[in-house]
Amino acid sequence: MCRSIATRPSSSVRLQPDVRLKAVATIPIAIVIALAFAACSSKPEAPKPSPTYTLRKVTLPDLSHAAPSVQQQLRDGYTALQKKVDGSATPPEELGAAYGQMGMLLMAAEYRGEAESALLNAQTFSPRDPRWPYYLGHLYKLKGDAANSIAAFSRALELQPDDVPNLIWAGEGNLDQGKPDAAQPLFAKALSLQPRSVAAQFGLGRVALAKQEYAHAVEYLEKALLLDPLATVIHYPLAMAYRGLGDQAKAQAHLALRGTLALKPDDPLMRRVDALLNSALAYEASGADALDRGDFKGAADSFRKGIEVAPKEPSLHHKLGTALALLGDGRGAVEQFEQAIRLDPYFVKAHYSLGVIQASTGQASAAIRHFTAALKAEPGYVEARLQLAHALRRGGQPDAALPHYAEIVKADARVPEARFGYAAALIQLRRYADARDYLTEAMRVYPNELAFANALARVLAAAPDDRVRDGRRAASLIQPVVAQVRARDILETMGMAQAELGQFTEAVTWQREAIAAAEKIGERGIAQRITDNLKLYESRKPCRTPWRSDEPIEFQPTGGPQAIQSPNL
Amino acid sequence: MAGFSRPSEKRKARAACLAFFFFAAFIAACTSPPPPPAASAPAGWFTEGAKETGLDFVHFNGMSGEFYYPEIMPPGVALFDYDNDGDLDVFVVQGQMLGSKPLGAAKPQPVGSLNSRLFRNDLKSGTLHFTDVTAASGIVTHGYAMGVATADFNNDGCVDLYVTALGPNQLFRNNCDGTFTDVSKASHTDDAGWSISATFFDYDRDGYVDLFVGNYVDYSVAANRQCFSLSGSLDYCPPHVYRAAPSHLYHNNRDGTFTDVTAKAGVSREYGPALGTIAADFNGDGWPDLYVANDGQPNQLWINQRNGTFSNTALLAGAALSPEGEAKSSMGIDAGDFDNDGDDDLFITELTGQGHDLYVNDGTGTFEERSARSGIRLSSLPFTGFGAGWIDIDNDGWLDVVTVNGAVTQNVEAIARNQPFSLQEKKQVFRNLGNGQFEDATKAAGSAFAVPEVSRGLAFGDIDNDGDLDMVVGNDSGPLRLLINNVGNRKHWVGLRLVLGGPEKAALRDAVGARVAVTASDGRTLWRRAHTDGSYASARDPRVLVGLGDASGPVKVRITWPDGRVEEKSNVPIDRYTTIK
Repeated sequence: MCRSIATRPSSSVRLQPDVRLKAVATIPIAIVIALAFAACSSKPEAPKPSPTYTLRKVTLPDLSHAAPSVQQQLRDGYTALQKKVDGSATPPEELGAAYGQMGMLLMAAEYRGEAESALLNAQTFSPRDPRWPYYLGHLYKLKGDAANSIAAFSRALELQPDDVPNLIWAGEGNLDQGKPDAAQPLFAKALSLQPRSVAAQFGLGRVALAKQEYAHAVEYLEKALLLDPLATVIHYPLAMAYRGLGDQAKAQAHLALRGTLALKPDDPLMRRVDALLNSALAYEASGADALDRGDFKGAADSFRKGIEVAPKEPSLHHKLGTALALLGDGRGAVEQFEQAIRLDPYFVKAHYSLGVIQASTGQASAAIRHFTAALKAEPGYVEARLQLAHALRRGGQPDAALPHYAEIVKADARVPEARFGYAAALIQLRRYADARDYLTEAMRVYPNELAFANALARVLAAAPDDRVRDGRRAASLIQPVVAQVRARDILETMGMAQAELGQFTEAVTWQREAIAAAEKIGERGIAQRITDNLKLYESRKPCRTPWRSDEPIEFQPTGGPQAIQSPNL
Repeated sequence: MAGFSRPSEKRKARAACLAFFFFAAFIAACTSPPPPPAASAPAGWFTEGAKETGLDFVHFNGMSGEFYYPEIMPPGVALFDYDNDGDLDVFVVQGQMLGSKPLGAAKPQPVGSLNSRLFRNDLKSGTLHFTDVTAASGIVTHGYAMGVATADFNNDGCVDLYVTALGPNQLFRNNCDGTFTDVSKASHTDDAGWSISATFFDYDRDGYVDLFVGNYVDYSVAANRQCFSLSGSLDYCPPHVYRAAPSHLYHNNRDGTFTDVTAKAGVSREYGPALGTIAADFNGDGWPDLYVANDGQPNQLWINQRNGTFSNTALLAGAALSPEGEAKSSMGIDAGDFDNDGDDDLFITELTGQGHDLYVNDGTGTFEERSARSGIRLSSLPFTGFGAGWIDIDNDGWLDVVTVNGAVTQNVEAIARNQPFSLQEKKQVFRNLGNGQFEDATKAAGSAFAVPEVSRGLAFGDIDNDGDLDMVVGNDSGPLRLLINNVGNRKHWVGLRLVLGGPEKAALRDAVGARVAVTASDGRTLWRRAHTDGSYASARDPRVLVGLGDASGPVKVRITWPDGRVEEKSNVPIDRYTTIK
């Protein structure tokens, strides 16, 4: 067991037995020392002469559940990657790019685990390329992994300190951690680099709000709104800032203007990922994003690409039609809506959209047909029922419109327009007493909607039915409305009320102001028509026509939350 | 060792071998594998014990590859004392097959009958054990059940059940003899929409609880829409694909019937796809208000106008949207005084990437969202939370938070690995540090929290009557879980059952909505509320359990009863339950 082992290298000396034993006794100690040094030493190995890379395995997952177009795209991407990887002379930068491209594709397809591996490999091969840690930052953010997300964005910032979207996302990350003080310089730097960045300005406002520095929050958020008045989501935090300052009135005013679309920085790198995937839904999503940004042409392009991938998807045709309508191409829009209906005769949104276009171009019968079809497929489709009711009423069928308005009022109290439409139908049917009672109730339900007060005042001032008219009540109703809004129709109502009270001089004054208001906004045709009432008042005669036969009776919302949001795309 | 002829050689040889052994040991020490695990660590704050105690139930959601939206929403659970024997029984809802495919097409297949279940707690026998008494109870749920609310709606001293569903909801009147009668139609509460959460609360303070039913979206299986992931695989739809359905408020007529007063009360003017609902006096005026969490649309804070109507103040109150102005998904909700300043604050669970919400009340019904500052937001970002609630786990007097989680869209990578229904997530615990901050204490909570499941309903209650709050978790297409608290009763506590009613014991009922201020012997005053609602589609123990920490003396209690009367009691004993009438 205890064998003799030569301790002197390259020596062939024969040892005597007692020396051999001594040698045996010293060997374990020597080995202990040597091996202890080797095993317990923490000295790093000397660097190798050529770089070695620690890589993660990137494999293609089972794609059988994915759309065929996506399957092909991912397979092609993987093949391209493999070619680079298998090439013996592929420079690291090319490998980095290949892994990065694959990572972006996998990220777009939501294979986040494999995407992470690919992007980490890309980062390994191209450690100076800021794209890869940037995409990793977004990937981790999508997974809810805030710590790694922030770390990745920070790495990217080290490589590209002046990248504005990265500064903003890093700022967001700090806000997520409850560190507004750390977020502040990031947003500030982004703003200094891009003074028109709404997202950076918005970020500073949110930092101030988080720190309860309400005056600063107001300052930053007001500036953000000035930069982009259409970024209506800003109104809510701005309202909170005014609330913090104790200014409830301004807070309420901003709440009434708030929108719901999230505010994101302009992010070209992420747009590349969003536009990468060859799937119908990806094109639909990027098109919808473009619509939200107001990029109608970009939206149309995305929807067209989606149609190339999925030509029989009615939703894509409908969305393309919407984009074309917004671009002013009514004919193109109609073609797409009709194609959506051909593909799916029960596609309610297409029926609705087609009906809206037809109603706006005076094709009342066709519009009614399509709204009716939408309701047949989805009886609870409130917007379609409302538009149907409008189309019937405006098309000279107010009695047919009544039950539809009533149905909406019963089912959904969020729609003051339906209640107004019902009253308008009653007025068109000359049922002035019923209209008076209905509008009185509507005012109770919607005290902030001036349209009801205006309509009721007009009925009370000018209805041909003596039993309905009440000039004093009309005047008391319209006076506070006029104090808020000096629109042409409201000024006319005031004139009617004054005339009913026998105050013809005042009525003439109000009517002249109404004419001037109409001319000011280019309503010359209307100005001409309402001159007739002016002549009546000058002849000291009251008005007995609350609305002229050619005058639409339409709801103008003046306060409170919007009744119904448009159907989501 | 072979042949050494001399003793000195023997000694030297021994020395050499000893040295060798030392060398071997030295090397082993330097390069040894990790030491073996220490003797088993403490079990964690909670221990899971459903199956062992007889709570043998697996939820069936009827999934068959069609991705019907309702499959991902249930089940709610309830803890309530149906037989008035002083311990909490368990009720859990069950699903059904959806669409036209036969039962055999479902994957996985159901375990047991397709009926919701009532389990009687046999604690009085000495050990925690449950017996399935569904058949004897007469409870038969017909539709695809979603959740449950509990209260004594007819003031007969026995707690009744309201089951929400896709389709007509059901009200089961407790007959006080172990059986229930379905009085849905007779009571006019068979709301036919897709209802998820419901709240019993006495909004007009007339002594009879009224009912708010939260409806989700306008949905039918026949009109189910197909939705896809970005890569084109079939998936569950998001809520905006459908229209929100209006919720309903029912006034209790005190004769076994209810009247729909939704429009009259003004709560029809604004609504969204309602998920969580809770009643509490948010503005401190003594009248119960109502908070409704909507999925993807602004939440509502219905402030009681004290005249039968409500006004939604959520926007200006700062409780409708995220600080950035976005409407979040808002599933589970609870109201509780986490900062011990005398008013109820709101905690709401959200989707992955959104972060849960902490709306801090200033006492007037005005809120500030502080999830990021408190530490909750960061830890909650990876999760999609459903059932949630304030719970003083360790009875230190500071309310902690538990959330049970589960995704709502498929993980495409899991699909690629042929894992159907890949929505599983772990549960979470946030421990209140007492300074406005929370820490993620999930690891300490026990191994049950590390098991990924598709969790939805969560009910709190002292199931073993040992002075700390336990939990029951309803898992979608998964087993019921019973989480027994191991740590709370190591600190002092006081348990209060607040009841209303006549002199006969039979007529006593829980004073839902009563608020209580408990002043401990160390001078701290802690506010709590008797309620059964909150969380997600679930109902909890209405008894008030207040952790006192190390304060060992009796407490003073100040009760604000639902009708507004205020009463004080001194020298209420601790470490036991006391009934106060």
